Amino acid sequence: MTEVQQATNKDQTMSITSVLVIRHLYKSFGKNHVLIDFNLEVHKGESVVILGKSGSGKSVLIKCVIGLLKPDQGTIEMFGQNIPDLDHEEIDQVRARVGFLFQSNALYDSMTVRNNLEFPLRRHWIKVTQEEVNSMVIEALEDVGLTHTIDMMPEELSGGMRKRIALARTLILRPEIILYDEPTTGLDPITAKEIIGLMREIQAKYDTTSVIISHDMNCIRTASDRVIVLIDGKCHAIGTYEELKQSDDPKVKHFFE
Amino acid sequence: MNRDLASYKFLDDAGDLFRFTGRFFQQWFKPRYEIAEFIRQCYIVGYKSLPLIGLTAFIMGLVLTMQLRPSMLKYGVEFELPAIVGIAIVREIGPVITALIFAGKIGSSMGAELGSMKVTEQIDAMEVSGTNPFKFLVVTRVMATTFMLPVLLLLGDAISLYGSYLGVNIRGDTSFTLFWMQVFKNLSFNDVLPAFVKSYFFGFAVGMIGCYMGYTSNKGTEGVGSSANSAVVLSSIIIFFLDLLAVQITDVLGFN
Amino acid sequence: MEKQGINNIKLGAFVLSGLGFLVLLLFMIGKNRSLFGSTYTLKARFENVQGLVPGNNIRFSGIEAGTVKNIIILNDTTIEVTMNVEKKMLNIIRKNALASIGTEGLVGNKVVNIIASHEEGELATEGDLLVTKQALSPDEMLQKLNKTNEEIELITKELMSTVQRINSSSAIWSLLNDPSLPRNVKISLGNIQLATGKAALAAEDFYTLIADVKNGQGSVGRILTDTSYAQNLKDAILKIKEAGTEADAVARELSNVVSGIQNDINSGNGAIHSMLKDSTVTQSINTSLENIRQGTDRFNQNMEALKHNFLFRGYFKKLEKQKKKELVKPE
Repeated sequence: MTEVQQATNKDQTMSITSVLVIRHLYKSFGKNHVLIDFNLEVHKGESVVILGKSGSGKSVLIKCVIGLLKPDQGTIEMFGQNIPDLDHEEIDQVRARVGFLFQSNALYDSMTVRNNLEFPLRRHWIKVTQEEVNSMVIEALEDVGLTHTIDMMPEELSGGMRKRIALARTLILRPEIILYDEPTTGLDPITAKEIIGLMREIQAKYDTTSVIISHDMNCIRTASDRVIVLIDGKCHAIGTYEELKQSDDPKVKHFFE
Repeated sequence: MNRDLASYKFLDDAGDLFRFTGRFFQQWFKPRYEIAEFIRQCYIVGYKSLPLIGLTAFIMGLVLTMQLRPSMLKYGVEFELPAIVGIAIVREIGPVITALIFAGKIGSSMGAELGSMKVTEQIDAMEVSGTNPFKFLVVTRVMATTFMLPVLLLLGDAISLYGSYLGVNIRGDTSFTLFWMQVFKNLSFNDVLPAFVKSYFFGFAVGMIGCYMGYTSNKGTEGVGSSANSAVVLSSIIIFFLDLLAVQITDVLGFN
Repeated sequence: MEKQGINNIKLGAFVLSGLGFLVLLLFMIGKNRSLFGSTYTLKARFENVQGLVPGNNIRFSGIEAGTVKNIIILNDTTIEVTMNVEKKMLNIIRKNALASIGTEGLVGNKVVNIIASHEEGELATEGDLLVTKQALSPDEMLQKLNKTNEEIELITKELMSTVQRINSSSAIWSLLNDPSLPRNVKISLGNIQLATGKAALAAEDFYTLIADVKNGQGSVGRILTDTSYAQNLKDAILKIKEAGTEADAVARELSNVVSGIQNDINSGNGAIHSMLKDSTVTQSINTSLENIRQGTDRFNQNMEALKHNFLFRGYFKKLEKQKKKELVKPE
C-alpha cells in the first residue's frame, strides 16, 4: 500500500520544485542496519515531519542530509547537488543555505549569545562587515524575541530560551531549508507550543522549507503539511496528519493512540 | 577469552589514537588556519595555567632544597646545594612536574570540554556552520599545548629556582647573585636543551590525548567524566614514557 | 573585542617572559662555557692529569679564565692539555706562569690552575706552552698531616717516659759529678721550651686560620668548607695542642728535678752524694738527656715541617709577613 502511495506521490510532485530528494538511502552501523532503502522528496515551502520511535534512524537520516554522516548507498540531492559526492568546500556552500536546529541546541558554552550567533555568519560569509553582522544578530534575536540576552552566556538561559537562541542562530543565515531535530523534546508543553508557533511564524516570514523530526504528536499536528512514518529504516507511510490518523495500519495506529 | 578482549580493545584504542594523531598532521598544514582561536587557546592554556604551575614549581623548588640539605650537609657539600637543586630542577623535576600539573589541569579540561561539546552536538553544529571542527578545536588546542608548555616550563623553572633560593636561605646565607652563579656554573646546554625539547613533546602529548579523549567521548555525562579522567591518566603515563624515551635518546646521542 | 586585546597583551607578556628566561639561561650558560667570548689557546704538559677532562675550568689566580679544549697523550709520560683561554687574559698570563692541576673542593671537578711566577717574562700568546708543576693531591696532603700527628704523639710519649724515668730514678743524683751535665740539661730544657712555644704558636695560628676560613673565602677556605676535611684538621690541631701541653708539663717537671738536684747539692745531702758516685748511672742519665734533646729536636722539626706543609705554606708566609709588618710599624 505504501509503495503505491509513494509512487503516486512521486508522480504528483515531479512537476513541483523539489528542494530535497532522497533516493534508496542505506546506512548501517556495523550489523545494525538503520536505514534501508529510504526514499523522500521535499517540496519547496512545505513542512514535512518525519515520525518514528527512538532509535529508528530519524537523527541518522537528518545527519546524512546535512553531510555529518556519509550514507552507505543512495543519493541525497539538495539544490541539485548530490551531498555524499561533495567535497568539503562544496558541502559548506550547501550548508550555508541550510539551517539545522540540534536536539540539544548545541550552543557554544564558551561564547556569549552574540558570539554564538556571529559564529556561523563569520564562518560562512567571510566578507561581512561588523555593522552588517551586528544588525543581523539583532534581527535574528528580534525574530525569537530575546534581544535582551545578547551578552549572556548560554548557561544563564532557560531551556526554552536556549532553544530560541539556537533557532535564531539557525535563522541568521536566511536558510532555504531548516532541519529540526526533535525541536520540542525536553521542553514543557507550553514552551513546546511556543516553539512550534515560532517555527510556523518563521516559515511564513522567510518562506522556508522545513523538515522536522519528532515524535511529539502535538508538534506534528500543528507543524506538519505532510507526515512520514519511519519504521525499521523504511518509509512506512506518507500522508497528512489527518490521513494517517485514520490509517488502519497497526504500526501507524500505534503512534496516534 | 576475556584477556583477548581486553588486549584487543587496548590495541583498538591505540590504533584510534594514532589515527587521530595522523589526522592532526594531515589537517595541520592545510588552510584555513584558525589563528585567532589558536591565540585564544594559547591564552587559556598558557597564561591561565601560570598561577597553578608557578605555585607548584615554587613549592617544589623550596621543598627539594630543604629536603636535600641534610644529606648535603652530611657529606659536607652544602655549598653545592644550589648547583644540585639547579640541575635537578632544570633536567628532570621541572619538565616532569610541570607537564604532570599541566596534564592534570589542561588535559582534564580539554577532555571534559570537547567531551561535552561532542555530547551536546556542538561539534556537529560547528561543522554545519562551515567550520572544520577538527581544525578549529583539535589543531588549535594541540598547537597551543605544544607551544605553551615549554614557555610554562621556563617560567616554572625560574620560579622553582627562586623557591630554591629561598630554601637555601632558610638555614644559610647565600646572596642571590652567588646562588645564581652557582646554579649556572654547573648547568650546561646538555641540561637545558633536552629538557626544553622534551617539553614540546609533553605538551603535544597532553593536548593530543586530551583532545582525543574529548573528541571521541561517548554519549552522556558519564562519558564526559570518563574522558576527562582518562585524558589525565593516559597523558600522565605517556609523559613518563616520553621521559624515559628522552633520557635514553639523550644518553645514546651523548648529551649527558 | 577590547577584552580580547587585553588577553593578547597578557599572552604576549607571558610568552616573551618565558622566552626571555630561555635566552638568559642559554646566555648565562654560554658565558660560563666561554662560547660567546673569543678565546686563544695555551698548552701545558703534565705527567698525570688526574682525571682532567675537556670542558673543565681553567683558573688564573683563582679567576675563571677558560676551559680545557682537549687532552692528548704525547707519549707514556707526557700528556698535553690544550686550553681555551679568554682573550682578556692575553695581557695577563705570561710564558713563565705555572700550570698545575687541582680540584674544586675536595671531591669536585678537576681544574687547571695557572699561577703567575713573580719573575719577569714575556706574555704568552696563541699556542704557547706553559711551565707545569705537579700539585699535591688532597689525599697526599691528608696522609702527610696524619703522619705528622702520629709523630708528634710518639715524641710526646717518649718525652714523658724519659722524665718519669729521671724523676723516679735515685741514680739521677750522680749526674752532679759530670760537669757537662748541667749544660746538657739546660740545652734540653731550652729545646723543650722552644718546642712548646712553637707548638703553642702553631696551635694559635691554626685557630686564626680556622677563624679566617669561617669568615672568608679563598682557596684554603674552599677546601676547609668541606666538613670532613675540617674535622680532620681540627683533630690535628687538637693533637698538636695536646703535644704542646704535654711538652710543657715535661719541661716543668724537668725543671723541678733540676732545681731539686741543686737544692740537694746545696744542702749537702749525703745520700745523694753517694748515689752520684755511680758512673753507670751518670752514663744512662746522659743518654736519657740526649734522647730528650733528640726528641725535642724532632718535635721542632715536625712543627717546622707542618709549617712548610702543603696548603698552609702560603698562609704561614702571609702570617709572617703580617708579623714583620707589625714589628716594623712601631719603629
